[in-house]
Amino acid sequence: MSTPEQLAIVQSKFTTGEIVVIAMEAMLVQDWLKTTRLIALVNKGSTNALVILLTSRTPPQVYSDLTIEKILPIDQDFQCDIGTDEEQKDVTDVYLNVTCRKSRTIFEMRPGITTTNLVSAIFQAIEVYQKNKNPTTDFLWIQKLTGSVRNLDSTNDRLLSAADPVIELESSDLVVSRRNIATGKSPIGTRESVVRYQMACKEDDYTYTKTLRIFIGTWNVNGQPPNAITLEQWLSSDEVPPDLYAIGFQELDLSKEAFLFNDTPREDEWRQVVAKSLHHKAEYEQVALVRLVGMMLIIFSQSSHLPHIKNICIDTVGTGIMGKMGNKGGVAVSCCIHNTSVCFVNAHLAAHCEEYERRNQDYADICARLNFQTYVPPKGFKDHDQIYWLGDLNYRITEMDAQTAKQLIADGNLAPVLALDQLEQQRRLSRVFVGFREAEIKFKPTYKYDPGTDNWDSSEKGRAPAWCDRVLWKGEPIASLTYQSHPELKISDHKPVSATFDSKVRVIDVTKYRKIHEELMKKLDKLENEFLPQVTVDTTEIIYETLRFDEPCAKELIVANTGQVPVKFEFIKKLDDTSYCKEWLSITPYTDFIEPGQKCDIKLEVCVDKRSAWKLNSGEDKLYDILVLHLVNGKDIFITVTGTYERSCFGCSIEALVHIPVPIREVPIGRIMELENNKNTSQDPYYVPKEIWLLVDRLYRHGIKTPGLFETQGLHSEILAIRDWLDNGSQDPMPGSVHSVAEALLLLLDSTAEPLVPYNLHRIGLSAATNYLQCKQVIMQLPEIRRTVFLYICAFLQELLTHTQDNGLDAKTLASLFGSFFLRDSPRSRDDRNQRSKSTQAICDRKKAAFVYHFLINDQSDFVGR
Amino acid sequence: MSAGPYNYSYIFKYIIIGDMGVGKSCLLHQFTEKKFMADCPHTIGVEFGTRIIEVAGQKIKLQIWDTAGQERFRAVTRSYYRGAAGALMVYDITRRSTYNHLSSWLTDTRNLTNPSTVIFLIGNKSDLEGQRDVTYEEAKKFAEENGLMFVEASAKTGDNVEEAFLETAKKIYQSIQDGRLDLNAAESGVQHNPSQPGRTNLQGVLSVQQGGKDSCSC
Ligand SMILES: Nc1nc2c(ncn2[C@@H]2O[C@H](COP(=O)(O)OP(=O)(O)OP(=O)(O)O)[C@@H](O)[C@H]2O)c(=O)[nH]1
Ligand SMILES: [Mg+2]
Repeated sequence: MSTPEQLAIVQSKFTTGEIVVIAMEAMLVQDWLKTTRLIALVNKGSTNALVILLTSRTPPQVYSDLTIEKILPIDQDFQCDIGTDEEQKDVTDVYLNVTCRKSRTIFEMRPGITTTNLVSAIFQAIEVYQKNKNPTTDFLWIQKLTGSVRNLDSTNDRLLSAADPVIELESSDLVVSRRNIATGKSPIGTRESVVRYQMACKEDDYTYTKTLRIFIGTWNVNGQPPNAITLEQWLSSDEVPPDLYAIGFQELDLSKEAFLFNDTPREDEWRQVVAKSLHHKAEYEQVALVRLVGMMLIIFSQSSHLPHIKNICIDTVGTGIMGKMGNKGGVAVSCCIHNTSVCFVNAHLAAHCEEYERRNQDYADICARLNFQTYVPPKGFKDHDQIYWLGDLNYRITEMDAQTAKQLIADGNLAPVLALDQLEQQRRLSRVFVGFREAEIKFKPTYKYDPGTDNWDSSEKGRAPAWCDRVLWKGEPIASLTYQSHPELKISDHKPVSATFDSKVRVIDVTKYRKIHEELMKKLDKLENEFLPQVTVDTTEIIYETLRFDEPCAKELIVANTGQVPVKFEFIKKLDDTSYCKEWLSITPYTDFIEPGQKCDIKLEVCVDKRSAWKLNSGEDKLYDILVLHLVNGKDIFITVTGTYERSCFGCSIEALVHIPVPIREVPIGRIMELENNKNTSQDPYYVPKEIWLLVDRLYRHGIKTPGLFETQGLHSEILAIRDWLDNGSQDPMPGSVHSVAEALLLLLDSTAEPLVPYNLHRIGLSAATNYLQCKQVIMQLPEIRRTVFLYICAFLQELLTHTQDNGLDAKTLASLFGSFFLRDSPRSRDDRNQRSKSTQAICDRKKAAFVYHFLINDQSDFVGR
Repeated sequence: MSAGPYNYSYIFKYIIIGDMGVGKSCLLHQFTEKKFMADCPHTIGVEFGTRIIEVAGQKIKLQIWDTAGQERFRAVTRSYYRGAAGALMVYDITRRSTYNHLSSWLTDTRNLTNPSTVIFLIGNKSDLEGQRDVTYEEAKKFAEENGLMFVEASAKTGDNVEEAFLETAKKIYQSIQDGRLDLNAAESGVQHNPSQPGRTNLQGVLSVQQGGKDSCSC
């Protein structure tokens, strides 16, 4: 380690100003295990910190091989001494004992010049601190690196418990170091992954269960502020104080500001009211808060449980049009309570009575897209032991007239009404919430009331009552206790709902754990080197027939363990590749264990979507990949994946499309590639691609007065039908609702290699955003075809805006939406997003919106003529 | 001391390369199992085999990677050269095309391994004298010009198979003794403690110290 190249790789984990002074490999010693780590001394200004990194291979080759595991600030709490192993006769290894925040970490290092340098650098850093006595604020940069405030805030005793080796062993700290045999490393040795798996299998033998009272609450507050109200009637109506609260709100703020820029003062107002109204018989602390536009989820826990809640992680999914707008969707918190993983989801699904299919789709989207990044590898929604789902799910009752329903409800006869509840119906058909359970509903519908009363909605629309607000759960063993609404709280047109549960979580028995662990180690010692892993696969060539744009197609690969020992397989990267497969392919699971005699079905799903289609059109990529299926400690198998892609106008550049006068399916592949690479263009191209014209024309004729146009998500099946209609050509009218047409238009713009305003103009475009004249100049710099398309779409949007009274659209919303497409972030900077602060992103989004806004409110006729 | 899992002092990594069908997998099988596979399927990937041998009284564990020879996998198998201490480059004496391709295999080996990697050329299927397409002399000359060790062998009869693997190991071991292969280099990855996970260094050699903790083999 510590060659300049390797130091550079470690350095790339940090930003300017944070200097990696020295870095080297060391073994982290945890009672029974020694695992490879990288330790680095990082300097910023006059402060230093010792950073412990996980590396998926040694030495690390690229930035992504490294994950920061822990950062120990070198401050008054930091202590360090060196020693040697007393047990060993020939003393060779250096032991570095580091104590920080009362937790002790031991590293074993090879003696040598690097070790000496590292140790002396650490001692120097301690001296520097003792001279300066930097205030804690000087160490704030560390907080940013760990991405968590808890880490720094954590009190001493919390870290004490985290320092328990057993707990560490089960936490994400112990990440299987992904070894790449291809780099020449030996297959003997590392067996922590096997150990982890075996320990997971024996979990019942060293854990016991503990029951927690969990309170789940949901309320759609209809944009109302919590002025002068408290929530005890909802949150602490029970005798027993809950151990854990998960409280979800919807429609926290209905303002445009919140919708467009995800900014609202309501977040804190409601948070405070909730905190005040928690059960008075116990002390609570906030565990997590997550919000997307009007959806907010807060988790509170009794303070005594906090040390046992780990891996807290949040995620949000917006399911508005193109998955962009966060007015609908879900927010979620994932965490481990003792040894049980738990996920809470607060969702607000699509509105409108008839739209239950859209609600089902929203649900599916949220499930598929939730992704919790603090875990390595990231955890999906399904990977939890317990899931609690709450929210305004918006399912209605349409098969009974409102009057009859109200009468039955007034008579206390809920059953016939409940039987027609869409959610009940859809669940019975297994269309949504498969595997979830819901307690019996014994309360009146929670929607829709005249605010301030218990009277049904008396407005003109006179909406039928519905159980919009629900709580469901999945996982064992969860016992439902109560499920009720709280009509006492009247400020909204919805009533809050609560559900309580007695849920069992698993707790580790340390003594038993140690014993079982030791036995396992002995057994493994014996097995090691006696057997090699052995598997067979049912095929090494996976051939996909015709694949179409945005239409996933899955095939199975069966891997059977035909050997004597458990096998861990994983797909690994080839020499120069950045990922183990091409981006149009996804493999689940990409790594797993197989016991002898067992098999594993691996799903290989190909989906050519907006990220990959253009590369196939231009010939930059092919539907061909060789995957390396690697058996840990054993051989590798090559799996060849091929397919035929049916080209579509989606993924074609604007420049190519204007030269294609016929449906794209009639054009030979070679010709498309030619056009994509700007060769042999035709004599008189269209002014705008016919596909854009057709979509806009359709919207112009049929959607110009449709409320919610460009705000409502389309249906995937309809978008595919539109795709076929465009690609094949047809005499029939364009299929699909106008919402699907609108989404198809956006998807077309989103599938090109570069956005309409090319990346190289973004910087100047965004800095000119406030000045109309300068924005115009940027547009003047666009290639002619792009300028025409830009102005053409803007002209159409202007036309839309003349019908505001019908479609309810406003220029700001359209500018914000189209800004994000016209000036789409480059894939690289989208990756940076996580690092980029929320506010920087918001500023950038505002500028994009401002840029486009000019062209929606100013007359463009002088422009078009050019 | 009982025969624990670490009763060897070094681990050497080998790769076996060459066109498809030249008999790479059969050579490995003959070496590890002392058996001939009459109808051996194409290798679709990289097979892995291991055997402990003795050189100058030292126990050495050979860790052998047998690669797929098919042209379409060439780009992928290149990932496996790194860190090999020995490379066995195989052609089929009954098929001249497999011999003609040697220079391309050699180029890859030179580019992707380090200078101390021992390259051993094997002319396989020497039992099929009647169908010979490449003379011994011609191949011998090629080997000398390129500084390679060379034998003709037969995976079927076992002729010279043992020798090829052992000679390679001897040569590597010699390099260590001469100090041409520096195990104590910054990245040597030399292992002194058997209770630690082992790993080979860039030279494809890993030394394991005897003694130390008693490796429990119950
Ligand atoms: N007569 C004879 N046949 C052999 C010998 N070695 C291998 N074969 C035969 O040659 C064929 C190919 O042998 P493999 O070992 O599979 O060849 P390979 O080099 O591993 O081929 P790939 O895995 O495709 O790269 C098999 O049918 C073997 O039986 C040999 O020494 N003599
Ligand atoms: Mg083979």
